[in-house]
Amino acid sequence: MDAIIDWYNSLMSNEIWFYLIHTLIKLVLMFAVILAFVVLSVWIERRVAGWIQDRPGPNRAGLPLFLLERFGSKEKQPLKNWLHFFGIPETSWIAKLCTWLRLDREIPIFGLIQPCLDGGKLFLKQETTPSYVRKFYFILAPMLVLGPPLVAAAVVPFASEVNTEFGHISMCVANLDIGPLWIFAISGLSVYGLTLAGWSSNSKFPFLGGLRATAQLISYEVAMGLSIIPLLMMFGTLNLQQIVQFQADNGWTLLPLWGEGLSLQRWIMMLPLGISFIIFVTCVFAEANRTPFDMAECETDLVAGYHAEYSSMKFASFFMGEYAAMVIGSAVVVTLFLGGWSIGFGADAALSAYCDWLAVLCQFCMFIVKLLAFIFFFVWVRWTLPRFRWDQVMKLGWLYFLEITVVNIFLTAAVLYFTK
Amino acid sequence: MFETSLCQILFYLLAALAVLCAVGVVAYRNPVNSAMCMAVCFAMVAAIFFGMGAQFLGIVQLIVYAGAILVLFLFVVMMLDIHDEGQSRGSYIHAAVGVLVAGFFAGLIIITALRLPGATDNACPVHSLCDSVGELLIGEARTASETPAAPAQYGGSLPKLNAAAAARMENPAISDADAAKVTSISDVKLLGKCLYTHYNIPFVILSFALLSGTVGAVALARKIRKD
Amino acid sequence: MAYIKIKRPKFSILDKVYVVELVKGLAITLRHMVLSLLGKSRGKQDFSTKGVGVCMQFPDERWDARLPEYYRGAPTLVRGEDGRERCVSCQLCEFICPARAITITPGEVDATSNCQKQEKAPAKFEIDMLRCIYCGMCQEACPEQAIFLSKEYLITLTDRKQAIRDKETLYRLGGTRKGLVNKWNQYK
Repeated sequence: MDAIIDWYNSLMSNEIWFYLIHTLIKLVLMFAVILAFVVLSVWIERRVAGWIQDRPGPNRAGLPLFLLERFGSKEKQPLKNWLHFFGIPETSWIAKLCTWLRLDREIPIFGLIQPCLDGGKLFLKQETTPSYVRKFYFILAPMLVLGPPLVAAAVVPFASEVNTEFGHISMCVANLDIGPLWIFAISGLSVYGLTLAGWSSNSKFPFLGGLRATAQLISYEVAMGLSIIPLLMMFGTLNLQQIVQFQADNGWTLLPLWGEGLSLQRWIMMLPLGISFIIFVTCVFAEANRTPFDMAECETDLVAGYHAEYSSMKFASFFMGEYAAMVIGSAVVVTLFLGGWSIGFGADAALSAYCDWLAVLCQFCMFIVKLLAFIFFFVWVRWTLPRFRWDQVMKLGWLYFLEITVVNIFLTAAVLYFTK
Repeated sequence: MFETSLCQILFYLLAALAVLCAVGVVAYRNPVNSAMCMAVCFAMVAAIFFGMGAQFLGIVQLIVYAGAILVLFLFVVMMLDIHDEGQSRGSYIHAAVGVLVAGFFAGLIIITALRLPGATDNACPVHSLCDSVGELLIGEARTASETPAAPAQYGGSLPKLNAAAAARMENPAISDADAAKVTSISDVKLLGKCLYTHYNIPFVILSFALLSGTVGAVALARKIRKD
Repeated sequence: MAYIKIKRPKFSILDKVYVVELVKGLAITLRHMVLSLLGKSRGKQDFSTKGVGVCMQFPDERWDARLPEYYRGAPTLVRGEDGRERCVSCQLCEFICPARAITITPGEVDATSNCQKQEKAPAKFEIDMLRCIYCGMCQEACPEQAIFLSKEYLITLTDRKQAIRDKETLYRLGGTRKGLVNKWNQYK
């Protein structure tokens, strides 16, 4: 036992090994969380869509108990067996409750298993690759769509830092000094996937979809990059961990209620920051190809856009890529504007003073809650707004957003200069 | 040293891939293949920048070249539906001119590279560049009146670790605090200072050149009304 | 063609900025969501169902009681009150069926039948339920009021062969129809 502890101590004392090990753990955690959120957001999407349209959504898929029947139990209703085993009469309230919960057929989990079943279905479907496609790029494209959002998530901090006896651990996979730029650059690469999918399909509707996606993503990337400059002028850093730390100390960007956030400057800054919030969120919608801007897969003009020729798991990759982009987009908005992992009202500092690990755990939960809230917002907007027209999308991006963001930068500079 | 060898392996791997892709740009007859090769080449160059600790430069390389310009290239190539280039018969004069031009640029790059600090002794190129960046940064930190407010070195990225280690290796007299300063100054600030003080005039001139290009493009693309 | 000028609505600046309208739209969808979660969706009263929204929880709750008179389910063959097979195998339904779901093999009427006057009766009468589109044209075309669309809508198959319903099944499902058709009455 002592040998193990010694080995552990000596391993962790080495700077490089310590770095590699904690990075690996964070990496696995991050991938698990993001992929889980991709699945979860499909479920949220379908449930919320149902509620908004006055129907329940997919609420039935549970863990079916007939599987038990296959594996030995000959009773058609395992519930009866169990009740009998515990000596509970079938007329008691427990039995009735179990029946009401549909436990006699399955373990209900609010239909949460539905997206897994959907994924399984897509996985088992016949894969057809049309004969006329350019095979190499056709296979490469879905990878290029799904990969970048996962890589982009590396810089998003999900909790504050922890002091251990071996060194400091910052709770994001890569604590780069160029956080937002990294996300823009890497998620911007997913445009290759859409373009190549459209082109390699060698058919006109996917091709038009790919062209639309390219034009839209490039257009909105410009406004997106410019819209966060007022924010960066206020923070004075590009490091996302420091940005969130600043918000934890001095009030969230859009909720400056504690610390230095109560100053006059911050409240005047709410105007340019509000404008950049609206523009940034809109651009995130456009970048994630979500509904008011899903021109690339607009079924009224383009059948299914760039993935019309895809089937089975390749199609599912596009689907997952879109949802991953949505999750990452939400994470960025939450980090930049809504305080990231910070609990707020000075609770972070108090918690860290009490116990680092407890603080990290609470902050992680807070981040997840905020992320879920914003994913809900994404879905809510999708089921509210109809799709824009293509010329409206281009006009909005180039004619309004670009100008407004540039003016906004000067406005921010003026506010910062005159209220110093 | 573990990190040194890792650094070297990564550098040579990335550099070899970049060169391979650069050759591919010229060698492929299908324009889409060429464009994709170019994209990979840009990505590899960005990765080398990352390895040197020049994160901002690397990311700008990715955003501007790989993310925007090359996508537009691809866009145009696909729109025009250019087919594979036919086998063209080269003449010796063309080849000679090509060799001359390529040789000129290669010579330029080699001379610049040889004049970099630490290039002539046996150090790894990445490492020597790390050192030079470190020196620059430490100099910057000493002259700057305000000390950086950021906390020193918490679980930073690998390149930063390397920069600190490199700075310490180069000059054992450097204290830990100075080594920490190396890692805490972001290259964004450094680049900004450089660009807007030393190289301000070339920068402005270049932006005017770009502006005139944009205006020219708009003038060419404008529809001339008949009435 | 007359030149018609379409009246476009005039938008104020506030409408053009779109943010206010967006918030209004979001409020509408949010209200729908909250009401359906509370089980108070509009139209819920006339539609007594359990659960979220105005949606029938199908296998648990069924339409059967409130199916309208004119509901068109699976087609069936009927017998008269006197137990006579109404079908005379004229094959009009077979010809009119747009999906070609009906196949009739005409035959002699059964020697034991109480209605020898009609002479013909189907030897085989098959309806392929995979082809049937429930249009009701067979019912309209039938001169003998022998084929009716029932209210059966739950047709679940595990095999393609099950989809073909033969004469016995169709008569079993159709049952007897009230009201005498005296056309073939032998005493008439």
